[in-house]
Amino acid sequence: MISILPTAFIFIASALILGFLPRGHIRSTILLATPVLAAWHIWNLPVGIFSQVEFVGQTLDMMRVDKLSRIFGLIFCLAAFLGNLYAWHVRDLIQQVAALLYAGAAIGAVFAGDLITLFFYWEATALASVFLIWARKTEGSYHTGMRYLIIQITSGVILLAGTALLYRDTGSITFERMTLGSLGTWLIFLSFGIKCAFPLLHNWLQDSYPAATITGTVILSAFTTKLAVYALARGFAGTELLIYIGAVMTLFPIFFAEIENDLRRVLAYSLNNQLGFMVVGIGVGTEMAINGTASHAFAHILYKALLFMSVGAVMLRTGTSKASELGGLCRTMPRTAMFCLIGAASISAFPFFSGFVTKSLIMDATANQHYPVIWAILVFASAGVLSHSGIKIPYFTFFGHDSGLRPKEAPIHMQMAMGLTALLCIIIGVYPDPLYALLPYEVVYQPYTMGHVIGQLQLLCFALLAFIFLMRSGIHPPEIRAVNLDVDWIYRRLVPTFYNIIHVATVKFFTYFDSVINDFIQLTIKGLYKLLGPETGVSRMRGVGSMVVWVAILLGISLISSYF
Amino acid sequence: MDPNKTEDKSTLPLLGRFLSWFTKTENSNKICLALVALCLALFLADFTYDKHGHFHIEEIPGFYGIYGFFMFTALILVAKVLRTLIKRPENYYGDKAIDGEDYPNDQLEQGSK
Repeated sequence: MISILPTAFIFIASALILGFLPRGHIRSTILLATPVLAAWHIWNLPVGIFSQVEFVGQTLDMMRVDKLSRIFGLIFCLAAFLGNLYAWHVRDLIQQVAALLYAGAAIGAVFAGDLITLFFYWEATALASVFLIWARKTEGSYHTGMRYLIIQITSGVILLAGTALLYRDTGSITFERMTLGSLGTWLIFLSFGIKCAFPLLHNWLQDSYPAATITGTVILSAFTTKLAVYALARGFAGTELLIYIGAVMTLFPIFFAEIENDLRRVLAYSLNNQLGFMVVGIGVGTEMAINGTASHAFAHILYKALLFMSVGAVMLRTGTSKASELGGLCRTMPRTAMFCLIGAASISAFPFFSGFVTKSLIMDATANQHYPVIWAILVFASAGVLSHSGIKIPYFTFFGHDSGLRPKEAPIHMQMAMGLTALLCIIIGVYPDPLYALLPYEVVYQPYTMGHVIGQLQLLCFALLAFIFLMRSGIHPPEIRAVNLDVDWIYRRLVPTFYNIIHVATVKFFTYFDSVINDFIQLTIKGLYKLLGPETGVSRMRGVGSMVVWVAILLGISLISSYF
Repeated sequence: MDPNKTEDKSTLPLLGRFLSWFTKTENSNKICLALVALCLALFLADFTYDKHGHFHIEEIPGFYGIYGFFMFTALILVAKVLRTLIKRPENYYGDKAIDGEDYPNDQLEQGSK
């Protein structure tokens, strides 16, 4: 057995020394150098299982290296690099350390060969990432962070419970492909599902991501959910249930995204929809589908980060990410607008942009396995992606009605981060072969066929036409300041209301009970008072004289009686 | 700045001047016509090659275009209905959410061009 340094330790070591370094460019440089070093480390790793340690009678595999874990490890390093470049101006040590530990934990989890190691890193991602939300330092972000943390930690606890049950059943804690059946596997599945934002379990995502700091959201968008996608691909590939879960995931967020005003929340819904495509790919489970999921996760991390970056840059300059307050910013923030358009084209899967060459792998894999309804849903969801991420984000921010705002262009380091990410989106779209070479299985696929390009362009251009038609006829819903209810209403409103009712009822009951007991005691005391109180004959005061008389009488009686 | 006032375009960056062309109302008809022409060309392009998809429905000329147009419209209409059901005021969740609060000023780098 060869022992090698687990990649996550590079991030942890950097995080430990960061606080001892002077603030400013030196720290920011370390934040950039760490993911580069880690990526170089991963790139040179041989395939196999390394760094085994003994832990309470179990062998933990800290480093399981294969093509699936490697591609996720590499994209996480790339995401950390781009996110930290975007956050170059941030001087908050807490955010910097959190960003490093978060990326490190996610990479550690990806290389975990057993469920216990996975559990440790699974919880570490939750703990590290919540600081990116709390760093906003407002009342709202504190509460949102708490909700986020509770849900993420719960996911980890369920994972641990599932692992324990699985160990009882099989005697093994190795993290490998599982079949749903026993309670243990279902719990592990549920745990992955929470982090992957399955329908009804999804709302932590839309709740928390818009609450993080401007740079924090960019970093958050990359790791947690894609770690869950990796875990599902590793543990539950080919589980048919995932096809249906994934299809629902692609579908419902597009309606919510359409009417959402906060653009960062629109992107969170859009993220949920993109996860749906990946989950369908895992459910289909063929080599082509798993390749599709892995490559789509890779491309998605980049264009989603790019979109969050562009909206974040607008927020940095204007103080808001609400569509109703924005519009017409292309005049003074044209570069950010261009980067945003490239991200929008990539997520909408326009030919020659990254989404096109990765999503089509999943679509074709689904069609190959003859799921016509699922395929039709995915095509519909693709038009939906265009609607909120392709049109809504750039149109209502940079074009549309003129808000009158004339903010400065984004800071130079943000432009560099966006520019680099945009460049990668285009390179992957134009020349996908290097990405295909990184995929878990051999790729025999040609995305650029006549039928495919024309079909996709038709779908997108006719949908654009529908958008213009709906805007001109005034049918398209306007952007208004509001919040929309979602599943989180249950635990943010219904349960607290219900709790309140029970609380009030309990208080009322005991107040009444108390008063009844009180009355009873009062009555008893009053009764006793009447019976034996100072007013009654029993306790009337008698003079000493009468006592002497009675003593004299008693003595007299006893004297007389002694003569007989 | 007052959006109704005509502003001095020469202060805008070159790319900004180019992009702002798309925001003018007088150009929206041109953009619209160009898109219609593009859609028509894409529809006609369907007759120029052998279509063989995974499903028979894909072989209908312009299938993706028709599907995209109608499903997009349906999506918007359903979303409109959904909004009437789930829309609430911005401060609905009070101080336990970020929706009603401003982003902290000290974390911004605002400034006008």
